[in-house]
Amino acid sequence: MTRRKFAGLSAAAVVGTYAGIKLQRPPKLSDGPAGKSAVAIIRARSYSDDLVSRMLQGIRECGLDVRGKRVLLKPNLVEFDAATVVNTDAAVIVAALEVFERLGAREVKIGEGPGHRRDTLDLADDARYRASVPKFDRIFTDLNRDDVSPLPNFAGESEFYFPNTVLGADLIVSLAKMKTHHWAGATLSMKNFFGVVPGSVYGWPKNKLHYLGISESIVALNRQFGSKAFAIVDGIIGMEGNGPIQGTPKPAGVLVMGRDLVAVDATCARVMGIDPEKMTYLRMAADLGHIHTGRIEQRGETIASVRTNFALIDQYKDLRLA
Amino acid sequence: MLALHGRRESEGDLDRAWKLLRSWQLADGSFRPSGEVKDGTWVTAHAVTLASVRGVNDASVRSSVDWLLREVGAEHEVPMRVASFFHWIPTKLDVSHEGWPWRSGNASWIEPTAQTLVALKKVASQYRSADVEHRVREGEKLVLSRRCSDGGWNCGNPNVYNFDLPSYPETTGLALLGLQGRNEQELAGALEVARQFRAETKSSLAKAWLQIALRCHGQQVETPAEKAWGSSDIMLAAVQALGHPEGNYRLFGAGGGVGGRT
Repeated sequence: MTRRKFAGLSAAAVVGTYAGIKLQRPPKLSDGPAGKSAVAIIRARSYSDDLVSRMLQGIRECGLDVRGKRVLLKPNLVEFDAATVVNTDAAVIVAALEVFERLGAREVKIGEGPGHRRDTLDLADDARYRASVPKFDRIFTDLNRDDVSPLPNFAGESEFYFPNTVLGADLIVSLAKMKTHHWAGATLSMKNFFGVVPGSVYGWPKNKLHYLGISESIVALNRQFGSKAFAIVDGIIGMEGNGPIQGTPKPAGVLVMGRDLVAVDATCARVMGIDPEKMTYLRMAADLGHIHTGRIEQRGETIASVRTNFALIDQYKDLRLA
Repeated sequence: MLALHGRRESEGDLDRAWKLLRSWQLADGSFRPSGEVKDGTWVTAHAVTLASVRGVNDASVRSSVDWLLREVGAEHEVPMRVASFFHWIPTKLDVSHEGWPWRSGNASWIEPTAQTLVALKKVASQYRSADVEHRVREGEKLVLSRRCSDGGWNCGNPNVYNFDLPSYPETTGLALLGLQGRNEQELAGALEVARQFRAETKSSLAKAWLQIALRCHGQQVETPAEKAWGSSDIMLAAVQALGHPEGNYRLFGAGGGVGGRT
């Protein structure tokens, strides 16, 4: 066994550490499903812009019908640091709540299960969710502590538990943050699904996912829930450098939206100056959605018009898009 | 149940709750976290603590202790120790110590290790086994080795790719709870960090765990100005009640016994 291979196997096995994509052999890239996927890049220079109109435009461009559906908004609420921008901005959640209610959803809830912190409502307070989002306490579920039910055959496990709020939703809206990530290269709409795994069963952090493999878990979660998902990625101000917590703010001035989360993440990566074909989890998910530019119908802005290279830590320099 | 222990008017409810919890015990001695989940997890430590508080020391409780003694964080296994020796993993963890995971087969983290230390220290006098003593010492070493550069603890990973990660108030409280009985001089800095966290954190849950930990270390903690427990969140209300000056925080100590407050 080579040192590199041994390191890869070992790294896949421990803590929040331990499944660096650089240590894994890149999987062969699938051609993806038939057809093309629409991804909307909508420019929004600040959180005080009219985000409702912009989201409505993006949803129209992607042809999403939410009438009568039970919608779960899943923001990225991880940690709070006033000096940077770790979480999906409250303004994006406020806008999404109004948009999905206006489009005729039967109900709109918000749910999140942070991976490190126990006091979710305190985090929501710090991130100004409770102050900004109307009726937040009434419609919010801490997915770490929700009642759970088992699903069979998840990621090679005979049973895996998920919150009933997630299982009961007809549409899960991944309200992700555009950030670099020290284990996955970037964290976007697909990685955001880590927050639906309940800490009450799997712990803080959800170490089981690290053992299954970070990329493998991202793909498994999206294989499970991707068919009832929609993505709105908050790239108005993203995070570059040592993300997902300790990086620095990086304005990209966009919302990226779509029904094909693989295509959304591939588009976000290109906006960030990252080559999606070099990202292990996207290569592994290529049978679920589209990575190739030729298979993505770009709506709204072009990638070239909004691309802004996000700084990458040394371990991920080779992900840079040419 | 710990929060209500010793209240005469709660005895019937506590007996029913204890019966329910015992129905969640598996044949291997571990406890399930709820009726829906089939696997035994770290919550077994809470069950052992509760059994000790209730004065229960039968064969099924002993099987739970044995289960805890068999559980070891997976990072302590040989491949990871070799990888760590050669610096092939991107963290600076000392993997030579045996802690406890959230679930079997996963790595050790602060909270399950701290709660298991509480449980084992409570039953140590009944077992007097070298295994218990060894695991307690090892668990304490693991907690100490995972301390963040800012003096507190986070979930249990203080550094990644040479970037120091910050500590959290709630896990700092839990770590100190697990370290009861260590030399207080050795912990003086950490206790100061805990006091600072308690003064600054807005989190009611973190504040409550810090109060429990500080009181268990014999520290004077001013009674909070805000209402001691007013939350509709049962878990939060229970932890707040435990951390109150007249609460059952002592039950987390090795000496906290069957009686409790009345």
